[in-house]
This record gives sequence, C-alpha cells and structure tokens, in this order.
Amino acid sequence: MVCVLPGLGREKGKEGEERVVASAGKMRKEDTLKLISAEGFEFVVDRKAAMVSQTIRNMLTSPGSFSETEHGEVTFPEISTTILEKICQYFYWSLQYASGKETEFHIEPELTLELMMAANYLHT
Amino acid sequence: MSDQKRRNFQIEAFKHRVVVDPQYADKTWKILEHAIHEIYNHNASGLSFEELYRNAYNMVLHKFGEKLYSGLVLTMTTHLKEISKSVEAAHGGSFLEELNRKWADHNKALQMIRDILMYMDRTFVPSTHKTPVHDLGLNLWRDNVIHSSNIQTRLLNTILELILRERTGEVINRGLMRNIIEMLMDLGSTVYQEDFEKPFLEVSADFYRLESQQYIECCDCGDYLKKAERRLNEEIERVTHYLDAKSESKITNVVEKEMIANHMQRLVHMENSGLVNMLLDDKYEDLGRMYNLFRRVPNGLSTIRDVMTSHVRDTGKQLVTDPERVKDPVEFVQRLLDEKDKYDMIISLAFSNDKTFQNALNSSFEYFINLNARSPEFISLFVDDKLRKGLKDFSEEDVETVLDKVMMLFRYLQEKDVFEKYYKQHLAKRLLSGKTLSDEAERSLVVKLKTECGYQFTCKLEGMFTDMKTSQDTMQGFYASQGAEIGDGPALVVQVLTTGSWPTQPSPPCNLPNELSTLCEMFRSYYLGTHTGRRLSWQTNMGTADIKATFGKGQKHELNVSTYQMCVLMLFNNADRLTYKEIEQATEIPATDLKRCLQSLACVKGKNVLRKEPMSKDIGDNDAFLFHEKFTSKFYKVKIGTVVAQKESEPEKQETRQRVEEDRKPQIEAAIVRIMKSRKVLDHNNIITEVTKQLQSRFLPNPVEIKKRIESLIERDFLERDNADRKSYRYLA
Repeated sequence: MVCVLPGLGREKGKEGEERVVASAGKMRKEDTLKLISAEGFEFVVDRKAAMVSQTIRNMLTSPGSFSETEHGEVTFPEISTTILEKICQYFYWSLQYASGKETEFHIEPELTLELMMAANYLHT
Repeated sequence: MSDQKRRNFQIEAFKHRVVVDPQYADKTWKILEHAIHEIYNHNASGLSFEELYRNAYNMVLHKFGEKLYSGLVLTMTTHLKEISKSVEAAHGGSFLEELNRKWADHNKALQMIRDILMYMDRTFVPSTHKTPVHDLGLNLWRDNVIHSSNIQTRLLNTILELILRERTGEVINRGLMRNIIEMLMDLGSTVYQEDFEKPFLEVSADFYRLESQQYIECCDCGDYLKKAERRLNEEIERVTHYLDAKSESKITNVVEKEMIANHMQRLVHMENSGLVNMLLDDKYEDLGRMYNLFRRVPNGLSTIRDVMTSHVRDTGKQLVTDPERVKDPVEFVQRLLDEKDKYDMIISLAFSNDKTFQNALNSSFEYFINLNARSPEFISLFVDDKLRKGLKDFSEEDVETVLDKVMMLFRYLQEKDVFEKYYKQHLAKRLLSGKTLSDEAERSLVVKLKTECGYQFTCKLEGMFTDMKTSQDTMQGFYASQGAEIGDGPALVVQVLTTGSWPTQPSPPCNLPNELSTLCEMFRSYYLGTHTGRRLSWQTNMGTADIKATFGKGQKHELNVSTYQMCVLMLFNNADRLTYKEIEQATEIPATDLKRCLQSLACVKGKNVLRKEPMSKDIGDNDAFLFHEKFTSKFYKVKIGTVVAQKESEPEKQETRQRVEEDRKPQIEAAIVRIMKSRKVLDHNNIITEVTKQLQSRFLPNPVEIKKRIESLIERDFLERDNADRKSYRYLA
C-alpha cells in the first residue's frame, strides 16, 4: 500500500509496505482522515487538506452520525488510486497556494479526463 | 472536459458504470429513499455518506435528476405529514414543546439530506430553477405542519395566550418562545408577519386599549404615566428576548397609540394631577416622564407646550395685573424672576432643555410682562433697590447672576425706551446721593445694556459716570486753589452735571442761606475761570446737606437733610417760630416741594425736628412751625428725607409717559427718513412694517403715530405723496 504525500519520501516500512509519514508536526488520529481508493489503497491526509473538497467538507460537518465520521475513513469505490493520489497532491498544493506560494500544479495529460470527473464528484 | 491537442496517450476504458440496467434509477432511488427514512427515524449512524452521495450524484449525472427531486419531495411530505399528526396529538401544555422538538429534528435531517444531495442542489436545481433543498425543506414544513388546518390556529392561539399570560404577570418559558418565533422567522418574513405578527399586533392593541381605559378611570396622571412607561419597557424587553427586532417599532407604536395618543388630552387636563398641577408642584420626575412618553407620539410635545404656554401666560397675567402686587415694585419683579427660575428649572430638569419649550416660555413672558405698562419702571426700581442695598454681601459672581437675570427680563420689554428713562432717573439719584453699593456693579450693568442695545442706549449713562469722576477732580482742584480762603466755613461738595446726560429737571429758585451762597459764588467763579463758555445753574432740588444741630438739653445730632430742608432749618437759626408763609417767602421754594419738605421735618415720628401748630398732617397756609427743643433720637446721625427713588405717583407717571412719547416722535421720523432714503418710493403698509422692524429693539411704534409723523414730514417737504398711487410716498432729496 502506497500513500504518497508531496514533500515526503517513501519509506520502507515493515513487511515491505511503504507507509507514509505525515509532514512536520505530530499527526493525531483526530486530525486525519483516511481516503480509500477503489483498489483499496489508503491515503492518510490532514483533515484540513481534505476539506478542500466541498463534498468531504460537507460529509465531515454534516449533523448526524454518518459512518464516515464515526470511523474517520471514506471509501471511494469509483475513484482509482492514481486519481486519488493526484487529488491528495492537489489538496496540499491548494493549501500552499492559498498561503501565498505560487507554484504550478502539473497534471499529466492522460489523467485529465478522470481527474476532472473526480473533481466534479468531489466538488473540488 | 475540454478539447485537448491530440497526443499519444491511451484513453482508458470508462471506469464508471454504464447504465445498462433499466431499473437502475429505481434501484438507486430506493437506496436513497431508505436513507431518508432512516435519517428521519434517527437511524443515520449506519449510513455511509459517500455511498449516498455517490448514488445521488450518479442519478443526476445520468439525467434522473427529476426523479430524484420529486422523490425527495414526496418522501419528505410523507414524513412531515406524520410529524404533523404527532404534533396535533400533543396535549395542551406540551404542544409547543413537541412542535419545537420536531422542528429541531427536521432541521437536522434536512441538513443531512442536503449534504447528501449536494450535487443535485449544485447542478440540477439551478438549471431547472427548482427550489434548493434547504428552502424546499422549509417550505414543505411550512405547508404541511405550520399551515395544516389543525395546527395553524392552535399555534397562533397558544403563542398569543402565553404572551397574554406574561403581560398579566406570569413567567413563561421564554427560551421555548424564542425558538418557536425563530422558526416562524426562518420560514420567511411573510409567514412571520401573517401567521404571527399581524394578529399579535391586533391582539396587543385590543389589550392595551382595554387596559388604558381601565387605568385612566382610576389612576391619576402621574400613576398612569408610570404604568404606561412600564408597559412600554416591557414590550421592548419582550422583543429583545423572543421576537424579531423589526417588530419593536411596530409594537411600541401600538402601545404608544393606545396608551398615550388616545388619552393625551385627558391626561394633560386631568383634575388635580394634570400637567398644570405638575408644573405648579415642580414634579420634575412626572414631568420628565410625560415629556419622554409624549415625545413618541405625534403632537405629543406640542400639546404639552401649548398647555404650558397658556398656563404661564395666565399666571403671568394674574401676577402683573394683581393690584396688590403692584404696590411693591421690588417684590413684583422678584416674583417675575422667581417664576422664570422655576420654569427654567422645569425645562432643564424635565424637558431636557428642549429649545422649543424655551422659546414658548420666552414668548409667554414677553406677552404678559408687557401687559403691565409699568413693568419697565418696576424693573428699574428693582435694579435700584439691589444696587442700593440688595446686593450687600453678595459675591462678585452672585452679583453678576442677579444682573444677568435682570437683563433677561429687560429683553422681554417692548418699551425699552421707557426703561431707559426711568433707569436714568434712578441712576441719577443713586449717584448724586452717593448711595450706590458697588461702582463695579453699576458699570457692569451698563456694559450689559450696551451689549444688548448698542452704544446709543448707554452713552448718556456713561456720561453720568464721567461727570461724577470729573466733579471729584474739580473739587480737589477747587480746594487746592481756594482752600485758604474758605477756612473753617461749611464744606462744599459740588457735582457738575452735563445737561444732556442727566435727566432734565427744571431748576426752580431757592434762596440759600448766606453762609452758603458766598461759597457757591466762589465755586462758580473758580469753575468758569477754568472752563470758559459754559453756564452753570444750581440744582437745589437735588442736593443734600449734613447739619449739626443742638437741641434743648444740649444734645447734639447730625442731621442729614435735603438742600431744601437745610434752607428751612437754617431759618430757625434766627427765629424760633415761623409761619408757613414766612418760610415760603424767605426760601422761595415752590409750594408743593416746600409742603413736602416741611411734612418730613415736622410730621414724621422720630424725625420731627420741627413742631407744627396745629399738629395735623397736612400743611395749611397758616400753620406755624417751631424748633422742636425736645427732639430726641437714639442715633447721633439722623437721616431725614433723603431723596430716594420711589414708585411714581399718578401725575408723575403721566408726565414721564408724555415725555417718552415726545422722545419717540423724532425717532420715528428718523427711521422713516432712513427708510425712504434708501427705498425712494414705498407704500404705506410697507413703511409701517419697516419702521416697526427698525425700532422694535427700543419700542413698539403705534401705526397711528407713524401716520402722523409721515404727515408731518410731508408738510416739511421731506416726503411727498405719489401722484399716481395715493398710498405711496416718495422721498424728496
């Protein structure tokens, strides 16, 4: 299972798995959210980053106890891993951009269509 | 997805499920419908947001948005109907609570539903111009619950009943009320207004109408106002606690109208407790309350103002026309000042210094002060009294305060020139008898008059002060140069008065005793020696003298008498008994003055240095006078008949008035000429208006008099009648 976050390296964890460690600062369970792709890849991201997506934001702030908020993980059976990965990258890029750093977000052309559809879905 | 430049890449197979299943829409909808049910039944914990969201998303994407939307409407409506039934079933007290609870539930559910259906809300709804989910939820709630036939009226009645109970003193659950009212507000302002506010205002109007009717029958004005104020504050508080802020002005209007506006006249004119009584008793708090309450209603303040004005005018008129009061001028003026102070206090404490009230007060005072033609004279007498003795021991500021108040009364006078005449007379007497308390106070008052009326008014007065000063210098010079020759003779103090500045008095003849006449001649030659081209005439009717007298048992007294009296007394140096005729012959003093002078010497108890035969009060021609050997007095210095300013007798008054009228004529003429010179041609009415305007700072000219003056000017070729228009006049250069 590979989760990649920008600015971070891949680590070789135990049993050949590569895990991602969060960026600087402690990462508590309450601050994070697990996004699971169609193939079962798990991406652990900051809640703040995830909330860039309006859909995820609504999900988390909705009254009533949906199962996602209970368990802190969201499954996207219709979003592939590559796309989800790109989306996570977008989250962090977006946060950086909002704080002033103007860098370019590169999109591989072959991903475009699916990325747009996913973005539409996630209202990002 | 936009057109991209063709590149070498592979498009992967469309991962999303292609709709092959014809019942796809139904199946998906079923899932969502189920979810909605669960949400309403508080069972949402097991649901997956993502799944539901995805389903809704897909439905919309595959053009089943319509089905989704209408399905939503249906499901919600069904649930709301159930809710409505359960609320209806609630018993009395818990009706509102049940409603409140269900409302909270509905809101929560609505939000969850909206979140799930966010995609539809974002895309489908705007494009088809349907109501967004949230608003839809509110509307359905409104239609199915609030407006359901069983609930609508019951809700309104329950709320109104609770408010009524609170008004009668019970404590109600304000939090619950707030929630319910906020619900109505959330449903839209029309709902709030139609379903609550309008009936609320009507019911409140009825309530207050009834209550005000009850109160006004049994309460006095002050109490009623307290109650009205209390109710007003209650309503404002109610609004802050659980009503829409916009309702505040509406409900306060209702209270104001029912409790205040409808009963204004009755309150103000209430017997024994109305406005007039409050004014008389200085009830500042009540008056303040009345002012604040009446300020809120149209014509409220003008009602108060009008009643106050007519009251002030009436009391003032009574004051100035009361024959008792008129007997003591100083008291008279003091009462006026007290009245003014009283009302100034009322206006500042209770009416928050409202300018319109101040103006009304001023116009009332102006009205009644001028009702008594002797007001100018009295005010001058008041000032005279104060400057002679009234201001003794007053600090400088207090003196200023008193003078300022006098100036205030002065401003109200219409006939300021009458005042000027009297003031000059009284000032002359004060200066000449040396009886003024404080020179600074005198000068201060003159300065105030100058500021008020201009230099012209006061230049003569200032001349009088100058004369006094100059006379002092002259006396010093006289004694310095002639001192040796005078030696031990009587000491002479002369005041040289410039004729124009001082009030004109005829100088009747009077024979001075020999000792004095030589001295006077010496002074005359001295003075004319230093000032050529002037003429001096002795004013024997205005002088005073201090004589030392030795009586029968050898007791000595110093008598302070007028010059006339001195002349009479000196005669008794050479004779013990003199008849009236003899005295008259010897002194040549005019009869009336002589009689008065003899009266004060012989007929006043404690000051009768002469004895009269017979002992009657009046002086007959054949009366005889003897030196009173047995005169006694506690004091060494005895003051007899100083020349004091007094209220004028009738003939004197007539005389003064005549003089004033005479003085006015040239002033009117000067004004007419001034006006005509600038306007060249003017018609009669306009002349009258202009002349009045010009002269109003001094007096109010009589139109008849103005006409006479115009005629006189025409005779003297200053003006001529216009040939074309008989009513117009033309200026002749």
